[in-house]
Amino acid sequence: MRALRRGLIIVVILGAWEAVRRFNLVGPLLLASPTEIIDALVKSWFDYVIALRLTAFEIAVALAFAWTLGIATGTIAGLRPFLAATTGPLLSSLFAVPLISWYPLFMVWFGLGINSKIAYAIVSGFFPVAINTMNGIRAVDRQYFLLGKALGCSRRQIVFRILLPMAMPTIVSGLRIGTALVVIGVIVAEMLGSLGGIGYLISYYRSIYATPHVYLGILFALGVALVANGGLGLVERRFTHWRVMQIQQ
Amino acid sequence: MSSVQPIVIEARGLHKVYGVKQAPIVALNDISFTVEEGSFVSLVGPSGCGKSTLLQMLAGLVPITTGEVLVDGVVLRQPAPEKISVMFQDATLLPWKRVAENVEFPLEIRGMRATERRDRAAEMLSLVGLADFAQRYPHELSGGMRQRVSIARALAPDPRIMLMDEPFGALDEQTRIKMGHELLRIWEKTRKTIFFITHSLTEALFLADVVLVMSHRPGQIVGTIKADLPRPRTYEIIGSAAFGVTRNRIWKLISQDDGDAGSEGMASL
Repeated sequence: MRALRRGLIIVVILGAWEAVRRFNLVGPLLLASPTEIIDALVKSWFDYVIALRLTAFEIAVALAFAWTLGIATGTIAGLRPFLAATTGPLLSSLFAVPLISWYPLFMVWFGLGINSKIAYAIVSGFFPVAINTMNGIRAVDRQYFLLGKALGCSRRQIVFRILLPMAMPTIVSGLRIGTALVVIGVIVAEMLGSLGGIGYLISYYRSIYATPHVYLGILFALGVALVANGGLGLVERRFTHWRVMQIQQ
Repeated sequence: MSSVQPIVIEARGLHKVYGVKQAPIVALNDISFTVEEGSFVSLVGPSGCGKSTLLQMLAGLVPITTGEVLVDGVVLRQPAPEKISVMFQDATLLPWKRVAENVEFPLEIRGMRATERRDRAAEMLSLVGLADFAQRYPHELSGGMRQRVSIARALAPDPRIMLMDEPFGALDEQTRIKMGHELLRIWEKTRKTIFFITHSLTEALFLADVVLVMSHRPGQIVGTIKADLPRPRTYEIIGSAAFGVTRNRIWKLISQDDGDAGSEGMASL
C-alpha cells in the first residue's frame, strides 16, 4: 500500500515534468524532459559507461588516499598534545581556504590527466578526515590510555586496540564529510580541466547546449555520490554499531 | 592477625615534583609505607592531594621524581600486568565489546588461547554475579554493574595486587554501599592485596585493615590508622561506637593542616 502510494507520487512527478516540456512551458535549453534524457542515454550510453568507469576509478583512488592519509595524520597529531595544539589551527585554517582556487596549480603540477584530478580530490577529502581523527583521539579519556599501559599493551596496541576504536564515531563523521568532498572534488576537477569522466561530459554537453545530456550527467554524478555514501554506511555499521545503540537507548 | 604476612608493596620516599626548576610544585612529598600480602589498605585524602598520582606510581604508570616502589622486594620500573591490575573511577570498558569480551581483553593482550580465555571470563563473571550478562554490551548495564565487569576484568589475569582509584566514586550512595559489600565478599574469596583510594572516610574505614591518611599541599601521609574492626563486616558496623571513634581520628588527621576542622566536617562522609 505504502509502496504503491510512493510509486504513484513518482509517476505524478515524472508526468508533470514531462508535461512541462511537452507543452513547452520551459524552454529546451533550461530543462530536459524524462523522455529526452532517456533518449540521450540510449543514444550514447557507451560514452557514459567509459566516463563512469574513469570517474569511479578516480574517486576510489582518491578515497583510499584521503582516508588513509587523513586517519594517519590525525592519529599522529592527536597522540601528541603539542603537535595537536600547533597543527590543529593550521589544519583548520588550511581547510577554510577555498581549495578550488588552487586547482589551476594542480593542473600545472600534475597535468591534464587523471593525476591532477585525483590529487585535487585527495587534498579536498584529507582535511576533514585528519581534523576529526585528531579530535576523536584527543577526546578519549586519559583513563583509557592508562588502562592500556597497565594491561601491558604496546604503544601500537594502545592505538589500534583502544584509542582508534574509541574515536571511531568521530572519525566516521569526518569520513562522511571527506567522502562527499572527494566526490565533489573529482567531478569539479573533471569539469574544470580534463578530457574524461562524468564531470567532463557535463561540461562538454553544456558547451554545445545539449541539455538532456547535462541532466543525464547530473543523474550519473548523483548515482556515484549515492554509491559512495552507501559504502560509507557499511563502514559506519561495521565500526560504530555500538555507538548507534548507545544513542538509541 | 596479619602481622606475619610478607610485604608485597613498599613505597620508599616517593616524591613527585612538577614544573620547571624556578617554580617547582611538590605534588607528593616523601611518601613511605608498606602493604602486607592479602591485606586491604585504603588511602583517604582530600581531592587534589595527589592520591591518583600516587596510585599511578604504584602501578608503574607515571615517572617518579625521587624514591622507589618495590613490589615483592623488586624495584618497579614499568607496569607489571602479571602482578598488578588497576581499576579507575570509570569502568573504562571498551564499548564495542560485549561484557565477556571485555573481561577477556587483558588475557587477549597476553596472548592466551581463545578457549581458555572464554572459560576464565565466564568464571570471573559468575564471581561478580554477572554470568547472565556475558553477551550484553556495556551501555546496557547500570553504573554499578559496569564497575563489577571492571572488577571481573581486573581479576581475570589473576594478579596478586589490585590498585583501585576511587572505583565507586561516580556511583550513587546506595549502589556504592552495595559495591563495598560486594568487593569485600570478592576479596574474602580471592584474598588479593587491595590498595583502595577514596575520599570517603566511611568507605575507607569500612573496607580496610589499614587506612593511610593523606593531606594536601604537599601531598603526604599524615597518619596510618589500623581499623580494629571485626570481619566479615556488615553495614551495621558503621553505626558502632568503635567505628565512629576511629573515623573521627581520621578526620582530625586530614583536617589538622587546614585549620577548618569544624563540626560540619565531622558529619560529612
